[in-house]
Amino acid sequence: MSVTAPSRSLLRRDPLIAGIVLVLWVLLGIFVLYPLACLFARAFVDGGVVTFQPLVDIVNNANHRRAFGNSLVLALAVGIGGTALGFLFAFAAVRAGLSKRVMGFIDTATLLPLISPPFTISVAILFSFGARGLITYDLLGIKGYAVYGFLSTAGAEIITYFPIAYLTLRPILASIDPNIENAAFSMGASRWCVFRTMTMPLSIPGVANAFLLLFACSLADFATPLILAGNDFPVLPTEAFLQITGQFDLRGGALLSIMLLVPAAIVFFLQRYWLAGRSYVTVTGKAGSRSRAEILTPAMRYSLFALCGAVALLVVYFYALLLFASLVTAFGANHAFTLKHYHVIFTEGIPAIRDTLIIAAIGMPLGGLYGVLVGYLVSRKTFFGRQALELVSMINYALPGTIVGIAYLLAFNDKPVELTGTATIIIACYIFRYSPTGIRATIALLHQIDKSLEEASESLGATSFTTFRRITLPLIMPAFFTGLGVVFIRSMTAISATIFLISINWTLVTVRILENMTELSLGPAAAFSVFVVVIVYFVLWLIGRMLARVRSGGAGDGGRVESILGG
Amino acid sequence: MKFIHRSILGLTTFAAALLMPLGNAHAADTLNVYSIWPENWARPMLQEFEKTSGIKVNFLRFSSGEALARLIAEKGNPKVDVLFGGPVETYGAGVKEGIFEAYTPPSAAVLTARFKHGSGMWTAIADDPLVFMTNKKFLTDNKLAAPTSWNDLLNPAYANMLQMADARTSGTAVTRIFSVLEIYGRDEAKAFDFMKRMGKSIQTYTKSGGGGTLPVGLGQAAGGIFFIVDALDTKAKGYDVEISFPKEGIGSAAEGIAMVKGAKNPDAAKKLIDWATSPVMQSLYAAYKINFVPAHPSVKTEASLAAVLKDAKIIPIDDEYAGANRKRIVERWVAEVLNAK
Repeated sequence: MSVTAPSRSLLRRDPLIAGIVLVLWVLLGIFVLYPLACLFARAFVDGGVVTFQPLVDIVNNANHRRAFGNSLVLALAVGIGGTALGFLFAFAAVRAGLSKRVMGFIDTATLLPLISPPFTISVAILFSFGARGLITYDLLGIKGYAVYGFLSTAGAEIITYFPIAYLTLRPILASIDPNIENAAFSMGASRWCVFRTMTMPLSIPGVANAFLLLFACSLADFATPLILAGNDFPVLPTEAFLQITGQFDLRGGALLSIMLLVPAAIVFFLQRYWLAGRSYVTVTGKAGSRSRAEILTPAMRYSLFALCGAVALLVVYFYALLLFASLVTAFGANHAFTLKHYHVIFTEGIPAIRDTLIIAAIGMPLGGLYGVLVGYLVSRKTFFGRQALELVSMINYALPGTIVGIAYLLAFNDKPVELTGTATIIIACYIFRYSPTGIRATIALLHQIDKSLEEASESLGATSFTTFRRITLPLIMPAFFTGLGVVFIRSMTAISATIFLISINWTLVTVRILENMTELSLGPAAAFSVFVVVIVYFVLWLIGRMLARVRSGGAGDGGRVESILGG
Repeated sequence: MKFIHRSILGLTTFAAALLMPLGNAHAADTLNVYSIWPENWARPMLQEFEKTSGIKVNFLRFSSGEALARLIAEKGNPKVDVLFGGPVETYGAGVKEGIFEAYTPPSAAVLTARFKHGSGMWTAIADDPLVFMTNKKFLTDNKLAAPTSWNDLLNPAYANMLQMADARTSGTAVTRIFSVLEIYGRDEAKAFDFMKRMGKSIQTYTKSGGGGTLPVGLGQAAGGIFFIVDALDTKAKGYDVEISFPKEGIGSAAEGIAMVKGAKNPDAAKKLIDWATSPVMQSLYAAYKINFVPAHPSVKTEASLAAVLKDAKIIPIDDEYAGANRKRIVERWVAEVLNAK
């Protein structure tokens, strides 16, 4: 790898910054570029000769083409369905005038899928729908309903991921002043006309962004299809996973995951270059007292409320089912109350819990620091290769987890950097995959802070580090906590990349849950999931409290757990 | 200036922390094991071993295909010392890949031929027949008797209602496929034709061998083919299921144990193999309600298990034939059965 040398001027001007940039490049080289290079090498180099024949074979294989097509259809459905649902929730939140208590319920319900292992919803759906499902058979009396397939998979992913769309869209809709809508009414426009010509166009960039986020999430998710897709609906991430774990066909897995690379890359560049700078702001001068939104008739308001309430209730029902399964002897057969599953996870499960917490605890501060550093450097310092640094730091974030996991496995299984079997490989995977949220939060925050603040400090004689410490650092603390929180949540819940990286020495709670769920020893799996949800919620609450303290005196919605999860 | 120092220190630690491998400790009295037996079977056994030997056992559970794949990938730099449990065809395939070290425990002398490898590459610790398991309510609703022939599974009543394991990851699945091959006298064309027809009734192929037991127990699926140990466990939990055997016969896999080539703790590994192949461990199956048939002739099969098996026609799976053909057969199964539609 060629390290982009920092320009001589920076080296002379600010040797410390130059040193940090160099270290970052080395780390990015090892943990982002090198694994990706290894992935391509394994896929396309055969005995020292570059060949695209294996890719041609894979593409010509009808089964793989079908899985690829299925993946795209699924991602499209999840993108559209999840964005629509997220939009309705966001619209209800900012326009339906719901009471604080109702909003609190809806916010808590939508938070659950974000902080739990990805397959919890899948299993709840598995038991609720189907030939003897609690809802289809026991409640509705439908016989012979098939739960496996496209519909349940898409449904499970929509319920799991729509909160991301909700959190992305809510601030955007909130920034559209209802006064403008009301003005249009008073000039005689119909409600639909106002919605179509004002509300909708103004929220288009947010909608597109939410769609792309959900599309990418679905494309990377192998656990939901593993449990719900069934025999008729193979998808690519799951096929790549089985190809690798079952047959250790690294090349086949690498090739399959490279097929996923194409749509992932398209999404990334659309987001970055097409959506960037397309934010519409409503210019109304100083916002006066906000009048009540009139875009909704009471009937519409109630139906919106009923719809959101129903979805939130469904989510709560899924988690209640899980809690119930964790507290009974044998779900579906013997509903006697027991704590034995919790006893199991707190005795036999302790090594996995301990490993996971150690990994999360090490990854969290490092990830937060890394995010703030990169974000600060790319938005405040000029140095050669700045844009390249930002782009490279985003790569692992943009790629589906399966690809990152396979690439790490290929890169670090042998010398020169042998890391398989260590905690380092898992920590590094989390940091470089999930810190970009912290990077983006830092960049976004620094955009809002005028550079003149720092220039003033420097012109008064402070060094660049005093300035950083006294001026910039306090201002970007929220971004640091965002990075911290996201790395922690992902360390506790993510599985698509790290399932390839666990070892006899270091295993993870999520992998244990998946193992238990695929074995369908439901009790311990449910107890583990409940434990993860509780601990993540607790840590988020703590971070929220710290964030509130950092922000105290400042404006903003300090302390809200959700505020660190959006986007 | 303090801050600068702290930042440099922080960043250096960050870089160092990432580059320094954590863990990988190999103390003298520890043993690392991949287990193919699910945790609820493997854990009590290995804990009993820890108690009697004083050796600490770390283990990680994988489906047989996964464990085999890991061991092949780690060949040359093995991370574990012993492969524990799992059907014999997995061991046959492992021998072919050269991942095991020969070791003959004392008990091997009294085992019948199908319970040990000719040159000591693996030794059996149990026998595990496959069974048909069906949901009783489904049977009554459809006025069916429990299936007693492989052809009963082709009954349209089972359409889209069967769950079985995926041969890419599960040893249960591979034993099932070799059962069908034996029924058809190893005539692959006929065997695959049958599997393709049965495949039309499959809801989903599960990653683990026991993956379908709960759906069958709940009635989400009508039935499937499982190892007896998983089927009896489902019944013991209280699910209303029926266990039956096909009159044509059904396969039984010897469950093995083997030392990994290049094991870092060979002495501890040998101790575990000695213990697991002896009557000491195998007489614990009944106490822990683990329904494996003991491999050692001096341990009696638990009475209720023996009663279930009384009239069953069991076909032992031949490890050499299965091991030699495993990879090819699984690939053919993926191409012709899994992707049939």
